[in-house]
Amino acid sequence: MTCAEIREHLLEYQRKQLAESLRVEVDQHLASCADCRHWAEGERATTDLLERRLPRYSAPLELKRRLEARWAPSAVPRWRWARAIVPLAAAATLVAGGTFFWQRHADRVDANRLVAEAANDHLRVLYSEHPLDIPSGGIHQVKPWFQGRLDFVPVVAFDGDADFMLQGGAVGYFIDRKAAVLVYKRRLHTISLMIVRADGLPWPTHDLQRMGRLKARVERSRGFSVVLWRDGELGYALASDLNAAELLDLGAKIAGP
Amino acid sequence: VVLRRPSLARYDATVAREKSSVGREALAYADALYNLARHLTGNATDADDLLQETYARALGAADGFVPTGTLRAWLFRILRNTFIDGYRRRRHDPARPGMDADATEDAAEMPREDFDSDQLRAVVGTEIEQALQALTEDARAVILLDLEGMTAVEVAEVMGCAVGTVKSRLTRARAALRSRLHEYARKQ
Repeated sequence: MTCAEIREHLLEYQRKQLAESLRVEVDQHLASCADCRHWAEGERATTDLLERRLPRYSAPLELKRRLEARWAPSAVPRWRWARAIVPLAAAATLVAGGTFFWQRHADRVDANRLVAEAANDHLRVLYSEHPLDIPSGGIHQVKPWFQGRLDFVPVVAFDGDADFMLQGGAVGYFIDRKAAVLVYKRRLHTISLMIVRADGLPWPTHDLQRMGRLKARVERSRGFSVVLWRDGELGYALASDLNAAELLDLGAKIAGP
Repeated sequence: VVLRRPSLARYDATVAREKSSVGREALAYADALYNLARHLTGNATDADDLLQETYARALGAADGFVPTGTLRAWLFRILRNTFIDGYRRRRHDPARPGMDADATEDAAEMPREDFDSDQLRAVVGTEIEQALQALTEDARAVILLDLEGMTAVEVAEVMGCAVGTVKSRLTRARAALRSRLHEYARKQ
């Protein structure tokens, strides 16, 4: 191994986490290389300083109580069985109907998470002084810019036109993953499009509206229209103060024929 | 309506219980998350805001979302993403130094270390903190996540990079930190 490779193993070596064969190799290298021995001493000193002297901050108690009250309340309202007693004759219908509504309700609750995030991301675009990393010279200029900045290719079939003018793009974050953010303008209205890898997120499957060749969920959040859809491995979220019909129109163009 | 209510009520109760349970588990990381938030932002007020926004993003809607990796790595990833988002919003604010200011230096080839390790041990906590603050966000984060006891897989998940690059990033980041610590040591 080269000195650079040995140095990348030194922390694990000092923490006794190296496999035996590697440990022997590092041992032998250190015995014959003064520079790496010196580097190893530096690593040990750095570990000592970080572990013993770097101030470690705890969340203030008041903040923790506030978070606990908001996100982990101890008392959870329970469904009262007494209220659910219905005639036995209705039991079969209850199961069938209940399952249907349960799925619909679960789908809506799951989608709320994505809707809230899309509205937040749109607000970030609106409030940012410089929301665009790449101003638009057309989609063929914007799309290549994402290469190397994302672990997927944002698929957009729409170059922008006189009705929906593409302003540019940026890399943002959508919940726990990177997003391609494209910004369009329609008259004086700003429209944000977030494109992400779809896996692991609860894309809506119920109450969808036709949007060109696809179907999408239309929601409203804090006065913004939000349109969500999944197309293969990618998920899309449009957010704007435009009305939903105009966003569906744009969504259909983005999804392509 | 009669048929629908029990199902919805049961779902809501289940979701509330799950949310509360995930919330309790997530809150167990509040101190560790706050520590990273504090070192990323450099002050208590912004760290408070960052922690609150992190939990709001992670637990914001009642659902059964299960992160693909560990809950800890998922929370740290959201915190870091939230910080970067905030930075991007104000990156042209001259009152806030850019976190990429020293990126070139931190990403440079590993320097030859010609200083005495014993000298390094003389620096004090506030100097270590200042040296850490002078690094890029990327370097700071990888050092602090490693210090938190995270595995390379977890660090990779938080940083959004390949597991194979975590070691080299960490080695370079610690070397950059050492170089800055040496400047403090030399002044003494």
